[in-house]
Amino acid sequence: MNAATATLAGLYYDGCRPIGAPATLVFAGKGAVLIGAQISQRLATVELRVSPRIGRADRFIDLPRGGQFQCADHPLLDRLPQEVRTEGVVAWLEQRVTVAIASVAVILSLLAAGYFYGLPAAANYIAMRIPIETEDTVGRRSLAWLDENKWFHPSQIAPDMQARIRQGFDELRYGLPQASHCRLEFRDSPVIGPNAFALPGGTIVITDAMVQTAESPEEVLAVLAHELGHVERRHAMRHVLQDSAAAVTAAAVTSDAASLGVAVAGLPAVLAQTKYSREFETEADDFAFQLLRRRRLSPEAFATLMERLTRKQQDAERAFAFVSSHPVTAERIQRAREAAKR
Amino acid sequence: MALAFRGSAREYFRIWAVNLCLTLLTCGIFSAWAKVRKKRYFYSHITLDGTPFQYLAQPIPILKGRIVAAVLFSVYYASGHFFTALMPYVLMAAMVLAPWVIVRSAAFNARYSAFRNMTFQFDGNYKEALKTIYWLGLIPALVVGSMFQWWGNLYAGSALFAFFGFIFPWWLRRLKNFIVSRTAFGGEHGELSATGGQFFKVYFLAGLIMVVAGVIAGVTGAAVFASLKKSLYAFVLVSLPVYIGYVLAFAYVQAGISNLVWNRTRLGPLSFESTLRGRGLAGLYVSNALAILASVGLLMPWAVIRTLKYRADHLRVRQEGDLADFHGSETTAVRAAGAEVGEFFDMDLSL
Repeated sequence: MNAATATLAGLYYDGCRPIGAPATLVFAGKGAVLIGAQISQRLATVELRVSPRIGRADRFIDLPRGGQFQCADHPLLDRLPQEVRTEGVVAWLEQRVTVAIASVAVILSLLAAGYFYGLPAAANYIAMRIPIETEDTVGRRSLAWLDENKWFHPSQIAPDMQARIRQGFDELRYGLPQASHCRLEFRDSPVIGPNAFALPGGTIVITDAMVQTAESPEEVLAVLAHELGHVERRHAMRHVLQDSAAAVTAAAVTSDAASLGVAVAGLPAVLAQTKYSREFETEADDFAFQLLRRRRLSPEAFATLMERLTRKQQDAERAFAFVSSHPVTAERIQRAREAAKR
Repeated sequence: MALAFRGSAREYFRIWAVNLCLTLLTCGIFSAWAKVRKKRYFYSHITLDGTPFQYLAQPIPILKGRIVAAVLFSVYYASGHFFTALMPYVLMAAMVLAPWVIVRSAAFNARYSAFRNMTFQFDGNYKEALKTIYWLGLIPALVVGSMFQWWGNLYAGSALFAFFGFIFPWWLRRLKNFIVSRTAFGGEHGELSATGGQFFKVYFLAGLIMVVAGVIAGVTGAAVFASLKKSLYAFVLVSLPVYIGYVLAFAYVQAGISNLVWNRTRLGPLSFESTLRGRGLAGLYVSNALAILASVGLLMPWAVIRTLKYRADHLRVRQEGDLADFHGSETTAVRAAGAEVGEFFDMDLSL
């Protein structure tokens, strides 16, 4: 310890009452003397403990017999024994503007890299290594829930029609890695309208309205091929993994904003989830176009069906229809046409 | 006694950037150290009568707490998404653990907060916490009931929810009272004299704000849809009053409850005067949100600092007796607080 002679003026707290007594701490060699109106104490500098530097706040020196000395920050304090050693480095970094600017650059590039590349790649890697059977219970439960709560009703599609679609579906899935897990369910749902879903675990549900909207078997198969894409590419699992990772990261980054009651704190996670959902749709489309061509079917059927669905939706003139209309639908139709030409 | 917040946005920006960067680089492990640095910054820059507060917690107990929280959350998450059969047991375990988490985190926070060489203390126990948060068995009834679908129809469940919504202010008063009366400084425990009726009044007026906003939205909605049909403008016009009403009601509750609790709290010779305004807080929330959005989050530290400043500016501490009424003891010694890091259950469970 090489503390030269120096004098610090501050306040002394005895630890018995929250009342400060003006005092000075005089350093000389390896010792120090605390001098106040009613106190005079000899101290060895090795016994002192200094609180970490933070901003420009006053610092505290814990004294050997339970007392405490408060004083303004001073270079001398860094040469005394520290209460916490590890924080010195961080405190040093925190004082530099260049370090702060570099930190912001690193933060932004890390977040961007994770958002665009790292997270989807990691989720894909993990999802492909988790067997699809783990999703079975959840898939079955959600279908049961939808049935029980009247979202779904038994299908009104004629049995021979159902059988024909099933046959086409079997031909479509034949030889796919997850083929044995893919199950087709018909349901009537006036609330949901023309739609199809891939539930976790490989169950694919198609609504009566969707079957009726399609004007040819190829169009139904085009929709089912898209849903098979969701199953094969493990979108249910990747959705869970990516969304939760994005939510945790966003929570960590915006923790300060969340404590302010600022509603925008949840926005990054929502943005990420929207982006990933769209990517899954595109991936399922591409999968469907490839699968259809391999089965000697044309992706053109997908385009015509999408066009008809869009027109139907416009006709319905539902209030707020603009909220649900996807601006990307036109793009999807175009991509299907391009795939058909190849 | 003068209370002031002396933090600066520039300074805190540097602390925020460095610590967030290190947290991301270490996949979250550094977040415990980051929490200590940030809390230290806030505490050290709040001065009462010229003396800053001190945050004494060490990162390792915080890290332990975060690991435990992460494990518990993963179990909860997995039971929700993969092993749904486990969900009832997980929920029940969560209900048993919740009072313990509340007591532990309050005790941790109090013990590692110090003022003038004396630490705060929280001496509430598990049983009291259990009685407070599960008052009348309302929350367990709601959770367990909805889990096993005990109520044959939706009406019984909704009635129970409505009853809980009505009684919530009284429940909140019990919770606040538990926290305040079990917190001590220098041997003096806090005392809260607010009544449930006063809590109810705050929520009732907030409810009125929402109703008024709803009516305005309904009227504009009817008018707008008759003339404009559907368009983005119509959508915005209708949702705007609802959003404004929500922010106002939220800010009003925040201000009202804060004022109520502080103004009715005594701590030994000290009393408090909180003069927050709903409109002021709402303006703060909205401008913070806009600034954070426009700056892609870079103004977050600035928003934190100005919010703390605003809150400190609206809180006064009045000394009505002798400060020597507070007696320090061995357990309130600042050095003793730092020395007990080794204890296994010493961890910070608040996030």
